Amino acid sequence: MSMIFGKIVEKRPIVFYVAIVFLLLFLVMGVTLPKGARSLVIQMMIFSILGMGYDLSLGFTNQCSLGHSVFFGAGAYGVIFSIMYLKVGLLPSLSFSFVAGLVFAVITGVISVRLSEAYFVIVTAIFFAVFHLLAMDMTWLTGGDDGLSIQLPALSLGFGKLSLYDPLVNYYFVLAFLVLSYLILDRIVKSPMGKVFISIRESEKRVQFLGYNVFRYKLIAFILSGMFSALSGGLYALTLRYGSADFFSFHWSIMPVVWCLIGGLGTLVGPWIGAVIMSLFQYYVSAWWTYYLILFGIIILLILRISRKGILGYIISRRLT
Amino acid sequence: MASGANFLETLDVTKRFGGLTALDHVTYAVKEGEVRGIIGPNGAGKTTFFNVITGELKPTSGKIFLKGEDITDLSPHLICQKGLSRTFQLTLVFPEMTVYDSIWVGVNLRKRWPWNPVVSAHHILDVSQRTQEICELVGLTEKMNELAYNLSYGHQKVLEIAMALSTEPSVLLLDEPTQGVSPQETDNISKVIEKLSKNMTIILIEHSMDVVLRLCHVITVLSEGRVIAEGRPEEISKNEEVQRIYLGEVS
Repeated sequence: MSMIFGKIVEKRPIVFYVAIVFLLLFLVMGVTLPKGARSLVIQMMIFSILGMGYDLSLGFTNQCSLGHSVFFGAGAYGVIFSIMYLKVGLLPSLSFSFVAGLVFAVITGVISVRLSEAYFVIVTAIFFAVFHLLAMDMTWLTGGDDGLSIQLPALSLGFGKLSLYDPLVNYYFVLAFLVLSYLILDRIVKSPMGKVFISIRESEKRVQFLGYNVFRYKLIAFILSGMFSALSGGLYALTLRYGSADFFSFHWSIMPVVWCLIGGLGTLVGPWIGAVIMSLFQYYVSAWWTYYLILFGIIILLILRISRKGILGYIISRRLT
Repeated sequence: MASGANFLETLDVTKRFGGLTALDHVTYAVKEGEVRGIIGPNGAGKTTFFNVITGELKPTSGKIFLKGEDITDLSPHLICQKGLSRTFQLTLVFPEMTVYDSIWVGVNLRKRWPWNPVVSAHHILDVSQRTQEICELVGLTEKMNELAYNLSYGHQKVLEIAMALSTEPSVLLLDEPTQGVSPQETDNISKVIEKLSKNMTIILIEHSMDVVLRLCHVITVLSEGRVIAEGRPEEISKNEEVQRIYLGEVS
């Protein structure tokens, strides 16, 4: 079988090894890093999930959505509301964020996925604007800019109870979800459905003439993408123990695009690299220069000038030739 | 060979783009197992005819039947599922997918769960077996692991045919399969088509008269959206009007 998927078999291990290296690093850093740096890594891991989710949309089915902040915010509020009003535990609250992502992705997807590229971008951007404004205005529900704080319930596992207030527990809790999301998404991408996703990226028209209902597949990819973005939002709200209308802001729409572009589209692990670099940059460079984003913009341009497919895409293409 | 009822049939199909009439009351019938050629000067409406049959464009008026079933208003993917597959004049392949994977996607359509999100694609044995068979049939076995954009134009044309084949069609529409291809590769492609014609109905748009005369049982001549002649190859090559409009330009 390895002969048949020759190129793929050759290609996959690099991505796989990069993932393993990252996960091992994350695993070790949890116990070795000081507290401040540890919370930074927690952020990176949460962003990685958002980036992977987004990659399913842009990197695999070529849908450049600017509306993913809607799902991020929906996931965060899914967690907050379910804990505040329904008094559910931690894991059920995350499933609520998953469902919130599903609902919002279905609503926005059914309307927007049919549209061709530029119109899709515009309509998803409009969704971001609408939901951001709604979240800002409906202060009675969302708390507006001030947001809502939550008291975290204990994490009850089979062997006992853990508290997310312990940063170490929080760290490995998030890491577990990163691993889980990666395994699920990797599985999806390598399945028959994933193959159809990739071929849709390559040529939508040809896939249609191979007998596939392109709209349905793009919608499924969009919904899955939205669900994992929502999961990320939920984890972020749990980590901060807080959520506000800011979760719907444009920041959360544009950042995943940036992570995916830096790291490499269509690789799942690429966005991890992007998220890590971006977070490090934000944390350390912003301390000594307010306009650090200008510098970061230049770096993005340089990376894309050297390799249109980002850092991981560059490594893969070097390995192939 | 030709037998039985009409397999694919168009009734009075007209397609207008604004003031331009691309197809003018085209009535056309193909019997099972036939190899049909469509020739005509540039802009005669040949590709538009394919686009209308395959559902990419909806006809302004008229009906299209496949095996007696009205397919006029179906969308392209449903028409493909009913057994009608096509290639494109300008190759439309998946540039960053391997030859194997490109064909794999089409073969997978006929399996029980084409949308299966769980099973690893490597492990579906009947699909990979059929994919290899198709690669062998069209002679792409050696190129199986090449990315499509690394292929020569001739091989991309063959890949187009292989992808069209992968959905197990009963009617195959080939849009200029030998256009822009070296003589040697043209020979190779017509051998492939000849091999396929034993098992399926083929409609071929082609500019190269050699290929058309060699492969087709019946040739239809289109000009300005109208059928101006239809008949066996030897009749067509003698028809005076055809010579004036089409062949005359060449000789």
